Order: sequence, then structure tokens, then C-alpha cells
Amino acid sequence: MPSYYNIDDVLMEDEPISVVFQVGANGVGLLDPGSETNNIEKGAKVDLPFWLAHELYLRQAVSTNVPACFSMKTRKEIQADASCVDLRFRCPYFYELGYKIAPLVGDKSIGAFLRYAFTSRYGEILSKSHSTAGTAPKFSARLTKEESQLFEAARSSMAAFKKWKIGGSRLEKASILGRKRKTTLPQPSIP
Amino acid sequence: MAGQSDSHLLSFSAPEVEFLAEDELVEIIPNLRMDALNMICGDFGPFFPQIATKVPLWLAVALKKRGKCSFRPPEWMSVERLTQVLEAERESPREFQPLPFHYVEISKLLIDNGHEDIPDIYMVRSLIEDIRDVRFHKVETGLETISGRTHAVKLKNLSAMEVNIVRPFMVRALQAFYKLDSPEMIQQPEATVNRRPRVIDRGPRVSLQIRPFSLYYVSMLLSDYCHFNFISI
Repeated sequence: MPSYYNIDDVLMEDEPISVVFQVGANGVGLLDPGSETNNIEKGAKVDLPFWLAHELYLRQAVSTNVPACFSMKTRKEIQADASCVDLRFRCPYFYELGYKIAPLVGDKSIGAFLRYAFTSRYGEILSKSHSTAGTAPKFSARLTKEESQLFEAARSSMAAFKKWKIGGSRLEKASILGRKRKTTLPQPSIP
Repeated sequence: MAGQSDSHLLSFSAPEVEFLAEDELVEIIPNLRMDALNMICGDFGPFFPQIATKVPLWLAVALKKRGKCSFRPPEWMSVERLTQVLEAERESPREFQPLPFHYVEISKLLIDNGHEDIPDIYMVRSLIEDIRDVRFHKVETGLETISGRTHAVKLKNLSAMEVNIVRPFMVRALQAFYKLDSPEMIQQPEATVNRRPRVIDRGPRVSLQIRPFSLYYVSMLLSDYCHFNFISI
């Protein structure tokens, strides 16, 4: 369910999707950088953000192609060694996008592919997340946004527990109280 | 705002869990004479020197800091008892031994504040640490088995702090699996391009009709004995 206030949802919907126009469209030439006129002809291949592609798809104006991150090449790589694939580079919102794009494209196998990818990458996230202290390890650069949220959730809760165990002051100052107030009173002149 | 819990992850911060643990009763031996204290949560005292009485942990710590009492360590905090528990934890890979729900927090507060009242304090401390490590390792092995078919996780005898550490991860993982395994996502494709493990033996999937409910269910089971972690979703 898209959430109006969820920034990740908003960013996810900005992912470019390659679509093929099923009808000619006038006055929207700016969508197609290669277009010479101000119109898009029927059958033109254009990259549109997901939110626009979705709306146009519902109006049957375009047909969507499977995005590159769900290509056969990626699938082969995932099958070979899921945890080594840099999914963030392919698409930072890999799972969300897959989840949303699956009903739009004819490819029925995306759902199962996503589940397979997540299940096989989950193990590594789990094994590293609670034991990593301090800085994030190198492998976290390969995680998609969803995966790194999962990773961070575990890491930060463990870090918070460790911090509590070591101790320290139990009362913490609110951040706003830390600011120094500027004194506006004029300095008394030293005689 | 480090002391406050993150509303996104529906979890408490460690100091907040400690705060809840301070309501547990512990035994103290006062060295002062004082009338009974009548508080909303109950009446405690009256206090007579050298006569043990039960008070909430926060009161015990406050009295201890003023030098007005000494702790009497709970029965489960003895070296023999903890050794038994540790043995049992190591022997049963799938079960957790019954310990007080707030054992991590209680033992920390007692150890930090009452060095001289607890016999074999270093031994007790390292035993508790070992027990916690063994138990946490078990939780992690359990988490490895989560898959799309997991709708709820039951962790009996898990303590408040342990639940609290693992909750953000577990809730998110279950959410992700639930989403990716929803029936509209997993259709039988005509041409299978990737090997999908266990796809044939998928049993009848009981879909939970209302999604928020399944989360409630998860957090309910996660907490087993505790009754405080329904904030909002």
C-alpha cells in the first residue's frame, strides 16, 4: 500500500521504467529526449518514471517492458551467488519495484524470483547484522534499500543494547538543551 | 533523542526496558527503621533493621545508594543455579530455560549497585553473560529458518531485553517475507526460468485477511508474557 508520507515509497516510484507507447500522444515531446517534434508516436520506446508509467498503463496508453534489473543476466547472477550481487547498483528499490511492476508486465516469474533472491540474501544479512559493531561492513554497500533497512534495524538495536550494558549516565540531555545561548547583555566594561 | 524509542520500529530503547524492570520486586535487608511507604503501586515496609522485606527494584536501588540497605540476591542469581541454567541452555538447542522476564536488567542493576552484597560477583556476571550469549545464538539460529511460510514466531521464555533486541529485525524480516510470498506475487509461471526451492511442496497457505492483525499477532507472540508492547502500528 503506497504511503503518502513514506519517502522511500516516493523515491521508489521515481525509478525509470521503459515503456512502449500504444497510442500516439501530442504535446508531450519532452518525455522523449530523442523526439524531434513535440509529439510521441505510436510504438515509440520511452523511459518514464514508475508513477507515470503506472497511470498510463492503467489507461492502456503504454505497455511496460521488464526493467533491466530483472533481466536474465541478473537472474543468472542471483542463482550463482545471491549475496555477492550488487543489487543496490541495479536498483536501490529492487523488491519494492519488483512487487509493483509484476502485475504490469506479463512476466509471471518475477514474484518467485524476488522471493528466491530475498530468501538467499537474507541469511547473510542475518548472520552479519547482530554481530557487527561499529561501522557498517563492506557488504552493506551491495544491499538494496529494503535490505539495508533490515540490516540497520538489527545493528542499531544491538548497538543500543551494548551501549546500555556498558552503562554511563542514565539521564540524557535533550539535544535542544545542549545549545549555548548567546548572551545579549552587554559586557561590563573593565575599568 | 537517544533515550526515546523509535516509533517506526515499535520497540523500546534499552533504558526504557530497564525502567519497566525496576517495578520487579526484590528483597532487601534495611538498616534503618522507617514506617511503611504507601504508594500507588502498593504498600512497602515498614522497615526494621536486619529484617528482610520486599520492595520494587527502583526503591531498593535508591535506598542502596543512600547506604540504607543491602540487597539479598534473588535465588536464581546464585552460581549453582546459573550454572545449571547454562548447562540446560547448552543442552537443549530449541528451548529457552525459564528465567525471570527481566533477568538481564535486574542482574545488571543489582551487580552495578551492590558489589559487596552478591557473593562471587564476577562469576555471576560472566555466567549471566554466557547465558545471554547462548540464548541469543539460539534466537539467531531460529531466525535463519524464517521463510515466506512463517506467519508468527513463538519464543517461549524469552526475556524482555532479548525480545527487545531482536524485535526490529524480526518484525521487518517477517514483513518482507510476508510481502514477497503473498499469493498474488507467487503465481505458477508457465516457463520457470529460475530454480525455486520448495515451490512444489508448498502447503495450503492460510492467508491472513487483515494485514495489520498479523503484525499484532507477531508482536503478541514475541512478547509471550509481557503485556506492555502494544503501542501502535
